[in-house]
Amino acid sequence: MNNFGVIEVAGAKKTNAPGWAYVPDTGPAPGSSALQPANRKRAARNQAALSSSDLSARQDAKIRKELDALDRDGSKDANIPVPPKPGRAQNKHTPNVRKILQSQKTFANHLDDYRALLALAETNPAAAAALNAAHLKPGAAFAPTPPAAAAAKNSPAPTPPPPTQAPTSTTSKRSAAAAKRAAAAAAREAKEAAAREAAAAEAAAAEAAKAAEAEQLDTAKDKDDDVEMTDAPGEASTTETAQTTTDGSTTTTSAAPAPGDVEPPPPPPPQAYPPDGTILPAYRRAPPAAHPGDGDPLLMSHVPYFPTDDELRALMTAPPLSYLDARAAVEDDDGDGYDASSGQPTYPTRHFCEVCGYWGRVCCTKCGSRVCALQCLTTHREECFTRYGV
Amino acid sequence: MAGGSRKPRSAGPVPPSITLVLDNGANTIKAGFVKRNSASSNSDNDASTPAPRIIPNCIARDRHKKIYVGSEFDKCKDFGDLALRRPVEKGFIVNWEAQKEIWDREFFDDKAPQKCNPSETRLVLAEQPNSLPALQVHCDQMVFEEFGFASYYRGIGPAFNAYQDIQAIFQTPKTPETTVDIPAEVMLLVDSGYSHTTVTPIIQGRPLHPAIRRLNVGGKFMTNYLTRLISVRYFDMRNDPYVVNEMKEAACYASLDFNGDLEKSWKGTQGERREDYINGAGIAMDYVLPDSHTRFHGIVQEYDPARLSRTRKGGVSAEDILTLRNERFVVPEILFNPSDIGMRQPGLADIIMQSLSVLPIGIWPGLLANIVVVGGNSLIPNFIQRLQTEILKRVPDACIVRVACPADPIASTWIGAANFARHEHVERLAVTKQEYEEHGAAWVARKFAAGLRVDS
Repeated sequence: MNNFGVIEVAGAKKTNAPGWAYVPDTGPAPGSSALQPANRKRAARNQAALSSSDLSARQDAKIRKELDALDRDGSKDANIPVPPKPGRAQNKHTPNVRKILQSQKTFANHLDDYRALLALAETNPAAAAALNAAHLKPGAAFAPTPPAAAAAKNSPAPTPPPPTQAPTSTTSKRSAAAAKRAAAAAAREAKEAAAREAAAAEAAAAEAAKAAEAEQLDTAKDKDDDVEMTDAPGEASTTETAQTTTDGSTTTTSAAPAPGDVEPPPPPPPQAYPPDGTILPAYRRAPPAAHPGDGDPLLMSHVPYFPTDDELRALMTAPPLSYLDARAAVEDDDGDGYDASSGQPTYPTRHFCEVCGYWGRVCCTKCGSRVCALQCLTTHREECFTRYGV
Repeated sequence: MAGGSRKPRSAGPVPPSITLVLDNGANTIKAGFVKRNSASSNSDNDASTPAPRIIPNCIARDRHKKIYVGSEFDKCKDFGDLALRRPVEKGFIVNWEAQKEIWDREFFDDKAPQKCNPSETRLVLAEQPNSLPALQVHCDQMVFEEFGFASYYRGIGPAFNAYQDIQAIFQTPKTPETTVDIPAEVMLLVDSGYSHTTVTPIIQGRPLHPAIRRLNVGGKFMTNYLTRLISVRYFDMRNDPYVVNEMKEAACYASLDFNGDLEKSWKGTQGERREDYINGAGIAMDYVLPDSHTRFHGIVQEYDPARLSRTRKGGVSAEDILTLRNERFVVPEILFNPSDIGMRQPGLADIIMQSLSVLPIGIWPGLLANIVVVGGNSLIPNFIQRLQTEILKRVPDACIVRVACPADPIASTWIGAANFARHEHVERLAVTKQEYEEHGAAWVARKFAAGLRVDS
């Protein structure tokens, strides 16, 4: 067949062969790529994430080995048998307990099990669910409970979720990651809302003061319904119901005159206290005394948008993250020098002299280790030569 | 068992009046009993809480092959060449064989120092956040099936710290009408323990799970790092982690001016005589190592510049003396800059910012003004000030940043858990043995993971 000289080298086509197959390599799993490659088994796969650094493979391996050593408990593996104690009755253990007591698994083993379960859940959700059900294991504990929580929002009784609720095919990792994303999105939205409010604050303040008066009655009515709050008389001034804007963000400006305050603070009110929610009650005491500079546009500060009860409730009832997700990692993926999640600058790594601990200003030409000056370089050379040869 | 003043649960018997409160740390167990009496409904009686007993959570073997379990370790005098086996790894109970042995000897044996009858006792156990589900289930199974506690709650240790008078730690000025909020309304807890350091924002006693972050640097990591530095520069102490740990606790401090301190402790280039290096500049410090005959603990001494020349002239020093220079502040520095040793994790202040970044800005001021640091590492001198300056650099300057450490940072979680055991919240959260037998371990794990309902 004439292909006009074009020879197909490789394609996306799968080749089926007994026992193994070529599959498209989609790179390391996003959850594990940011991890310290604590696990030898995945060391090769995680190399991809590390290649951006200027470390050579040898130094990388050295650092990894040293970190592993630092993370170990004690210098050597202490295998101390439990001393037998006479006189204690050997009672019978239940099968579960016997299994737990005889297990010699370390934390690393458990973590590998957990990773394997996550991987299984990603490729074969049904099998993972079955495994969960069989072993009373992971996902169950992390099964998303918010729906239940939201439904039972107003019931004060601490009814736990029904035990028959089967863990859905959503894996714990995915749900945790989703929770993380959702929270991040909420925070971003909050920031935007704060920015919007900054612009609208001055205009809104005057209106809100008027609205507050108009809504005094409403608020008072709400307060009657709210059995949780026992307000001092005369303090029902916070405008919880000021959620009137169309875009869903709330105006949190609330005029909060102190009880017995003869002279109201100058408009616009300098403080915007958080509204009185059921989760976090409002500030109860008198605001600081008015200052002539309060109205100065240069000195005026504004309190950012305060989360509503619903947002706080969502945060407080969110399921726990998994062990892997909770680990803080440097997330400077785009390489702009700023951390992706917190926006903090990521400073370049500092290097230290491997001999004396001062700044590492000189590189050993042999192995790339850093030393401070000639004296330490001489010391280092001796060791370097014995390790790597001349 | 006389029932307390609390109304009993509608189903099930009257809850037990004695609670065993356990903070089962990797290095030490903090344990004590809390009796619930009728007067404790306003559970702000911190003063009446006795301090917990602190039990080493290890099985140790000294160089004469003698084995010490748990609190027997106090009898151990010679810490040289000590081997330790710890049931808790990374903050989580992993090896139940060893943990059961320690618990048996401390709580359940006939002559145990804190004898208790599990069938009439409630257990409140603090665990680290973000545990592995399998380990949590193991823990629940052991508590009910092996020890047989009548009632049990396993809660996140950092969140227990909210059940104490947080404003007293910050010495917030009080007016007569100020009420103590238990649990505290808003706080940010930094728990820097033996295995790792966690950052937990807490609202009304409930941890905000999406914002919990962990730094894998703890006391053990720093001890190992100091061991490595000393072994490279002076002599091999890799078999004496206990001795090095004592040295770390005695000599290390968090530097407030890292560059300056590093400059002062540099010996200089070849042939250079730097004044700061010779007279120590207040940084160099002599540490007399234990000799395992007369001295079993190390001693910190003022740096004596003349000592070196004395020994060089022939006066043989009978004791092994280390001069610690930049080791003193480089070791705690890895909490703030883990990248110094090649770790791909941000420093503690950056982790606090990462934790805040998933929360609405509106609650930042409350969290930043109430940062409490607990755990053994908060005893490092200047740690609090250093953390405060690092956070101040990163937050909007209108925010007030207050960082404080309770009077007893090691027992703080336990004290909070003890207050929790008297609080009415525990009645809503604890699970009885009957419930466990009826619904099973998965149900219990889900109930504990869900935590307190927000609206109740």
